[in-house]
Amino acid sequence: MRSIVGEIVSNSKEVTVMDMEASIEHMSRGTVRYVDALLVVLEPYYRSMETAGRTVPLARALGIQHIYGIANKLRSPEDGEAVAAYCRNHDLELIAKIPFDDSVVEADRTGRAVIDYDVTAPIVEELSRVADFLLREIKINGNGAGGN
Amino acid sequence: MKIAISGKGGSGKTTISATLTRILARRGLPVLAIDGDPNPNLIQALGLGPGVEAEAVPRSVVERREDEAGQARHVLTTTIEDIVSQYGLKAPDGVTVLVGTRVDHAGAG
Ligand SMILES: Nc1ncnc2c1ncn2[C@@H]1O[C@H](COP(=O)(O)OP(=O)(O)OP(=O)(O)O)[C@@H](O)[C@H]1O
Ligand SMILES: [Mg+2]
Repeated sequence: MRSIVGEIVSNSKEVTVMDMEASIEHMSRGTVRYVDALLVVLEPYYRSMETAGRTVPLARALGIQHIYGIANKLRSPEDGEAVAAYCRNHDLELIAKIPFDDSVVEADRTGRAVIDYDVTAPIVEELSRVADFLLREIKINGNGAGGN
Repeated sequence: MKIAISGKGGSGKTTISATLTRILARRGLPVLAIDGDPNPNLIQALGLGPGVEAEAVPRSVVERREDEAGQARHVLTTTIEDIVSQYGLKAPDGVTVLVGTRVDHAGAG
């Protein structure tokens, strides 16, 4: 699958968003070669942050240009501060703090997209800021580390 | 612009991928979402109702070839446009979604 997905990403002419499998061992050069940006999701607990922490040097070694952290399921300011501190210590730029959002739970329960369930949900607002940020930082027609 | 989302199991990769995809599409951009997880559920998170399933892109769309230097690499055996039109599903806001196949360890990577 890695090479199939990698080849599709590399040949795609559209804005492309790839939902990856959890284990970072699968982050082979074949899959992520043409990716401009890797968003690493961190929950505010140790094993989740450690997984993210291991991903960053691997992604750098693969030549991915933009690597950003996204904190998710934060339940308190302390949660946010814990993820921020981890990212600072691991040289990972944190670009979003998404709270634990009941809209996600409710949307999942009814099998809907959260953006259809409630367009004003905190996760939608935070990811809108992420979209603004990415559109500023990355060329829309860019084509990853191995591209051009 | 090509973005990948990674993170520990259950951290919210699929929810974030789907929501970001829909937001980018609402900005008027053509967006292709790819489910690279062997247990695909991106389709539902994008808002295609329960029960909708995509035919996974088969391995036969890539082929291993050796270049002049004898280096093996994978190339598409058909055009990206054909793959998208044959296997892509249309999701809300004009999003197209493709589902990768399960991991085949032989020769992968
Ligand atoms: N911000 C949030 N607030 C509340 N619940 C959330 C949030 N983000 C994700 N979830 C919930 O966490 C669970 C896992 O989310 P999701 O499926 O997006 O994660 P994943 O990383 O893709 O998981 P997997 O590794 O199994 O593919 C789901 O039940 C989802 O509803
Ligand atoms: Mg998932």
